[in-house]
Amino acid sequence: MSLLPEPSMFNERYGDDAKLARKLPNRPISSLRDLQYVYGRLYTLATAGGGEYAAYLTPEKSTDLFDEPESLLYLRVDLSGDEPGLDPDRPVGVERYGEGKVEAVAHSWYDSARGFDHSVTHRTGKNKEPEKVAEYLHERLTAWAVDDVIQDAAADHEDGWIINELATLGETENIRERIETAIDEQLDGKTTALTTVAVKVEPDGKFLLPGKASPVFNEAMRARKQAKLVSKGEATDSVGDATDLVTGHSGPAVGTAEDPLNYFLGKQLEKFPGFDPDQAWRTHPVSEDVAVTLMNASTFVDACDYYTMGANVYYLPYFFGRLGPEDARDLYQVLYELVHAEDMTPIESAYRSYQDTPRLQEVGKRFRFYVAAVMEHQTKRFDVFGDSMDGTLFSPVELTRKHEQVLQSWLYDAEGDADHPDPRLRAAFPTPDNWDIFVSEESTLLSTLATGWYFEQTFATGDDDASADDYRIRALVAVLSGEPLDVKAVLTEYVDRLLEDEGEEFPSFRVAAQYTQLCALADAGLLTGREAYEPVAEPLQLTDDHPTNDMYSDTPARADGGNVAGARETKLEQFLDQTPALDEEQPERRGSFLLGALVGQVTGYQQVSEGRSTTLIDQYPIKAVTESKLKRLASDVLNKNVVYSRENNMAGTMYREVVDRLVTTLPRIDIDGDWELDTTDLRFYYSLGVAYGMNNWASSDDEQADDQPTATQEEA
Amino acid sequence: MSQETLEGWADEDDTLPETCLSFELRGEWGHFRRVEGNIVKQTYRIIPRTTVAGLVAAVLGLERDSYYEAFGPEVSSIAVEAIEELRTINLPQNTLSTAKEHMTTMPSRGHARISMPDPTKLRQQHNYEVLVEPAYRVDLRLANDELRTRFRDHLRNGTAYYPPSLGLSEHLAEITYLGEFDVTPRERETTEVDSAVLEAVDNVELAPETEIKVERSPAFMAADEDGRTTTAFQSIAYATRTEPILVQNVETHEVDGRRVMFS
Repeated sequence: MSLLPEPSMFNERYGDDAKLARKLPNRPISSLRDLQYVYGRLYTLATAGGGEYAAYLTPEKSTDLFDEPESLLYLRVDLSGDEPGLDPDRPVGVERYGEGKVEAVAHSWYDSARGFDHSVTHRTGKNKEPEKVAEYLHERLTAWAVDDVIQDAAADHEDGWIINELATLGETENIRERIETAIDEQLDGKTTALTTVAVKVEPDGKFLLPGKASPVFNEAMRARKQAKLVSKGEATDSVGDATDLVTGHSGPAVGTAEDPLNYFLGKQLEKFPGFDPDQAWRTHPVSEDVAVTLMNASTFVDACDYYTMGANVYYLPYFFGRLGPEDARDLYQVLYELVHAEDMTPIESAYRSYQDTPRLQEVGKRFRFYVAAVMEHQTKRFDVFGDSMDGTLFSPVELTRKHEQVLQSWLYDAEGDADHPDPRLRAAFPTPDNWDIFVSEESTLLSTLATGWYFEQTFATGDDDASADDYRIRALVAVLSGEPLDVKAVLTEYVDRLLEDEGEEFPSFRVAAQYTQLCALADAGLLTGREAYEPVAEPLQLTDDHPTNDMYSDTPARADGGNVAGARETKLEQFLDQTPALDEEQPERRGSFLLGALVGQVTGYQQVSEGRSTTLIDQYPIKAVTESKLKRLASDVLNKNVVYSRENNMAGTMYREVVDRLVTTLPRIDIDGDWELDTTDLRFYYSLGVAYGMNNWASSDDEQADDQPTATQEEA
Repeated sequence: MSQETLEGWADEDDTLPETCLSFELRGEWGHFRRVEGNIVKQTYRIIPRTTVAGLVAAVLGLERDSYYEAFGPEVSSIAVEAIEELRTINLPQNTLSTAKEHMTTMPSRGHARISMPDPTKLRQQHNYEVLVEPAYRVDLRLANDELRTRFRDHLRNGTAYYPPSLGLSEHLAEITYLGEFDVTPRERETTEVDSAVLEAVDNVELAPETEIKVERSPAFMAADEDGRTTTAFQSIAYATRTEPILVQNVETHEVDGRRVMFS
């Protein structure tokens, strides 16, 4: 539920370009504050009509209470007699709050961690006991009405006596007990509510809620809210003449404005001259008007915020450059939809708006997002793990599209219709049905990405607590803001996760998922690699037509496995050709991959044909691979392969397509010379090889039989 | 050599010279705190104009808050170009709380007192966003003859009164003098700009191959009796990978075969 008018109403009200333009900033949005100012401005324009106090009230904060039972509680205070008193018949009113009561209730919310709300109306915490609710009601008289700022405002107002009388009532004997008794009788149990007062000023008058009773309530509320702009926490009077950082106008600047993102707090003295919080206005100068407008951004900011992996992720849409009237109407529509997007992340909602709105598509690259991941350690201790003014929709959407393409290619064949180098063999990597990351469908992938699950499935799980070096969050922010990730760091995450996984079984599915992601990231331009890592960041050369396709028909049957062996040869050749990271110029990585492929292949053979429980991969797990051991491991595995081949009465060796390449690659590896790759890189490509080898069997059982070396094939 | 004040210098001669002093600024790290945060520590990507002024003043040994007039809009102009790809990392650091209850003021009475965090307290870890190996070319014009001459001498000799740094004092800066170059004004036109683009975000041509980013940072300051305030902020557009940006209908200057924008 929201009180915001439909976009069509907004457009109607602000259809005049020239008039609307006058209400918008006259320069481009180029900082977070600029953006918050625009949000606050749009919110105020949308909700205008609430009169002169509209900018100070917060009706959106309690729309969740609409039509809830016992959600509006008020003291019925009779001020028509000589002494103020509670209505003896019905001291407390208990009602359902609702849209029709917003103006009368006139609520102005303030962060409860800092004290009571600005208005006499105060929102309770969640599900409070009746006793606590009674305390809140009592505090309308004993805290709000006696507050210095409220009292000063009352003194200047002709109806100020009303507030004084409330304060007097608060001191009356037994008043607390009477409220408690009334609440006990009238309340069913715990509740979340707005607590306030209704006053009767004429003997034959009615009990009226603050917004209807007298302007003094709103006047006092405004004074309190303004006072907090210069006095909060340690600061008592932070105001001075300076240039407003949003409008550029000079004039009085306030130092303790609220920031809907809480990046700036008066308590952090470090940046104030002389550690003096009263000097806050010098470092963060905003005028009172701008400060109030920034606060009004919170409805939209909250709608663009979601929680994942221990952090709040903000995804705030705007348009690059100066916001024109048409932009403003479009932006209002996008924000309106975000406020009403129930189960979607802001990314999905924004993308839906984009797809449904031709004008947004025309705007194209100007449609941008402020992106941030914020970790809240405590209420007043925040860390930002990454933020950017320059996120686009294109970057996450492009990534999901590339991801889909990889899944649909012959490498994965998620849909079973890819053009294979040889249809007798399975795709290069498995695609288990129950993994989200293998679902080749844009909206699912976008949701998987937006929620962070995309990286949670592939990166190291690390600590439970989010921390600044949690690369999953970093990766999410990078993708949303279109900043490339360092490929070395990504591989480190992958390998750490594989080592976490590696237990009873080799994590083939995990490797397959990681490799899809790696290829998609590279293809979407979201990876950078320096030096030896450069080719890993290059996109695959996946071609639609396979030049090697024709080869297999000419490939003669081979000693080690007949036609299927020929098919394996073609497939491997194509895979290596299409993968820049495994080029012949990269012997270490290529060697690791081939070694893995052989281990995987033999492991598969041992599992399927020999039914062994201990296989080659158990003897050579991922963590056994190191730079210095690579060559020795390779010769061990090659020897074992020869032994198996002999045991099977073969003249040649099994899996010759792998063996031959491994044998020519190994001598090119110079372990004594300059190692360019580190263990992580080798381990990842070793794992990739194992996953490849284990999946490298024929699609049908008949051909599986063909795959088994037999004595009849000895002659070649 | 003693620290000097700038009294009366700024109004001596307020025409800008037709040449600029160009130098490279480099460091392993940099952190230029964005003004919208104090609890969070995010950095600008392009060194703010006010920071360049402070750095030059540090090299010259000018007193705190004394030099803002000499770097005012009429008597100085500065162009900044990022010359290495702009990268940042998160650098968690253990810091002391500056909340009032954790501050010690010494001596306990009197006028000349200082406040400082209590070093015996436990640290809290906070994330700093820091620039990795930032490098900029700065073209600087100063109307004040004496300051300009002294700064040129420092550049030539590789000396500085205070150690120059990139934002925080621990991020030391290395300065390399490139020379003195003619500054040739160019007619308003559509052109590729090599330096950061100043106050012309709306004129920037967005192209798919160039990633354009924006930020808004302090440009000019003024001192009053109790401290200083920023008197103007400027919007900056830049390309992360330092390629030139195509800008429509813009006034530029040519310096050393490059197109730059001064402010």
